[in-house]
Amino acid sequence: MLAKGKAGPRRQDHPLWFLIPALAVLVVFFLVPTAFNFVYAFTDWSSFKSDINFAGVDNFTSLISNGTLRNALKVTLVYAVLVAIFQNAFGLGLALLLERDTRVNRAVRVAFFVPVIMSALAVGYIFQALLKPDGALNGIIGWFTGAEVSIPWLGDTTWTIVVVAIVHAWKWMGLSMLIYLAGLKTISEDVLEAARLDGAGRWTMFRSIRFPLLAPAVTFNVATALLGSMNGFDIVQATTEGGPGGTTELLNIYIFRTFGQGLFAQATTMSLVLFLLVAILAFPVIRFLRKREDVL
Amino acid sequence: MSNRFRNALALAAAGAITLAGCSDPGADTGSGGPVTWPAQDADLSGTTLTIWAAQNSNTVPDSVIAGFEELTGAEVEVVTIPDPYEQGVQTKVATGDKPDLAFWQPTASQLTALNATQNLQPLDDAPWLDAYQPDLRDITGILDDTRYATLITTPAVEGVYYNKEVFAANGITATPTDWDSFLQTARDLKAAGVTPFHEMAADRWGTQWWVQVQLADAAADGLWDRVNADEEAFTDPTIQGAIDNYKALIDEGLFNADIKTATFEDQGAALLAGDAAMVMQVNSFFGQLQSLADTEELDQKIGFFPISPSGNTGTFIPDQSNALVAFKTGDEQREAAARQLLSYWMGDGYQDFVNAQSTVSLQTGVETPADVPEALLAVSESVGTSVGSMQALAIANPDLYIYLADMIQGTKTPAEVAEATQSQFAELAKAQGAEGF
Repeated sequence: MLAKGKAGPRRQDHPLWFLIPALAVLVVFFLVPTAFNFVYAFTDWSSFKSDINFAGVDNFTSLISNGTLRNALKVTLVYAVLVAIFQNAFGLGLALLLERDTRVNRAVRVAFFVPVIMSALAVGYIFQALLKPDGALNGIIGWFTGAEVSIPWLGDTTWTIVVVAIVHAWKWMGLSMLIYLAGLKTISEDVLEAARLDGAGRWTMFRSIRFPLLAPAVTFNVATALLGSMNGFDIVQATTEGGPGGTTELLNIYIFRTFGQGLFAQATTMSLVLFLLVAILAFPVIRFLRKREDVL
Repeated sequence: MSNRFRNALALAAAGAITLAGCSDPGADTGSGGPVTWPAQDADLSGTTLTIWAAQNSNTVPDSVIAGFEELTGAEVEVVTIPDPYEQGVQTKVATGDKPDLAFWQPTASQLTALNATQNLQPLDDAPWLDAYQPDLRDITGILDDTRYATLITTPAVEGVYYNKEVFAANGITATPTDWDSFLQTARDLKAAGVTPFHEMAADRWGTQWWVQVQLADAAADGLWDRVNADEEAFTDPTIQGAIDNYKALIDEGLFNADIKTATFEDQGAALLAGDAAMVMQVNSFFGQLQSLADTEELDQKIGFFPISPSGNTGTFIPDQSNALVAFKTGDEQREAAARQLLSYWMGDGYQDFVNAQSTVSLQTGVETPADVPEALLAVSESVGTSVGSMQALAIANPDLYIYLADMIQGTKTPAEVAEATQSQFAELAKAQGAEGF
């Protein structure tokens, strides 16, 4: 924002109504859809009839009494936490490995960034093919062990969610790596030198100096991974479609299924629930992570 | 500043809301009144018609379109809607986007899902109706006594595809005649070391056939009417019993060992190779087999018989590739042209169509081409006496197959399958405004 004293003359050549075109775009494409997301949740909009009536909190009560929503919420939370852990662990690990600006490291960084710009559905389908019982991964394991391996990576009701979370983390770890690399670059050489003079080893240096100083990067990476993967859909849809046995049915997949049934209002209600969940989770998580930055 | 800012915001918001409107964009009251049926060869130069088709039906109309374009001068464009087709079409129609014609499952539940009374042209006095074989004429495509869909090919039937060579090698000379002899055959095969049944729970959608064929007798007795009126539920003994039986057969070990991870492709390969003796499936499974073997090999190896608790009644389930609907687009000329295309399709163009598709003819005056495989002939023979599936007769189509796949994976009990299906069915029925829900 402009400083107060300068606002007067500036307003002469930039009258406020200049904002109207931009505001109109904002309202039509962002505010109105969001508002409608709230409005439709309280109606009986469906593909079965053409009039839309107010239905009160009907959709909410039937959703709450339905066990599928609870399962989808649980799966979504578990998935988001797993993705946040894996994506940050991989990203940080890569950033530390590729920290020095050598020619090889630069090339390797690009390689790890490629999945980030790939289509998520394509990634999903590739992994689906790799992880099939007769897929390439089992083939490779079988070649090393010398025995026929047919592990159903995407067919286990307990572990498949972990596998899918790793695929999601694999796709996005390049982005985390990039942000951690930038964070590492901002650490002052003086601090590191002082630590070295005090006799700090590599591990102490990382634990006591570098990791705490990476706090802003951690905030960004954890928050985006956690909240972004709560909106996850494409990778899971392409690999498991929510199976096996509904153990990877994220809220968005459930919404997609409900929408496909023609229950538009119910689907809208669920996306409102997802929106609220992300909002409720975002504030404490971000506050906690920001608190860690106080060391700076 | 803040005041002016607020004014600007309010102004923009008011404008935007006016623009967006607050009504359902899919609501379109089309033309009413009696319809005319133009002659098949009426001139249509300058008219362009659009047909929506799915990935597996987008080449079906090729021969018809070529003939129609030459005859009338119209232009017909096929637009492929990506899978899942039904969801894509429903969403488009709900937001006001409509083609002239579309492939569509001609069942009551799917016609309801498309809001047929609002969006589709009634086809009650179509000129080709009398050409149908009598027992196929009114089998499907009708909602609340109005015809909205035209059956173009023989509807799919849920039944048993079996490997003739495996049957012969194990001394089975006659196909089962009722449910008990069907299970006896399976147990005999198992005792001989053959896997009797193959199921594909990883792809999920085939799981529901096992439950539905067990309901054939009840369906003939009005089961789905009672379910539609909320007088009977999925959790009541009839349907729950069929689910329990299915689970018991799996637990008995009559299915393939990799049932949890097997896919549709695996199923076709397994039956053809004789790794499993029987598969409960629908016509698209035969399409899968056709991609793996030629007609001669299929005639030699693969047979079909329908099954029901008390006999050999099939359960029919028309799918999207079997039928077409015509939309009310609001443009009377194009609506008439769409009807004209259907007249040609089911009229002068029908012989070319069944020849090009190598499919069974639905009309008494049009012959089935000689290169249709035997199993498909057996399927179409069973259509006339078959009963409707859940999709054909129930007002809503819950995700029974997903819940059954969950049951096979071990995350739902048979009782939970019925509960989840019933609760989803009730939700859909309520959204439709069905009485009793």
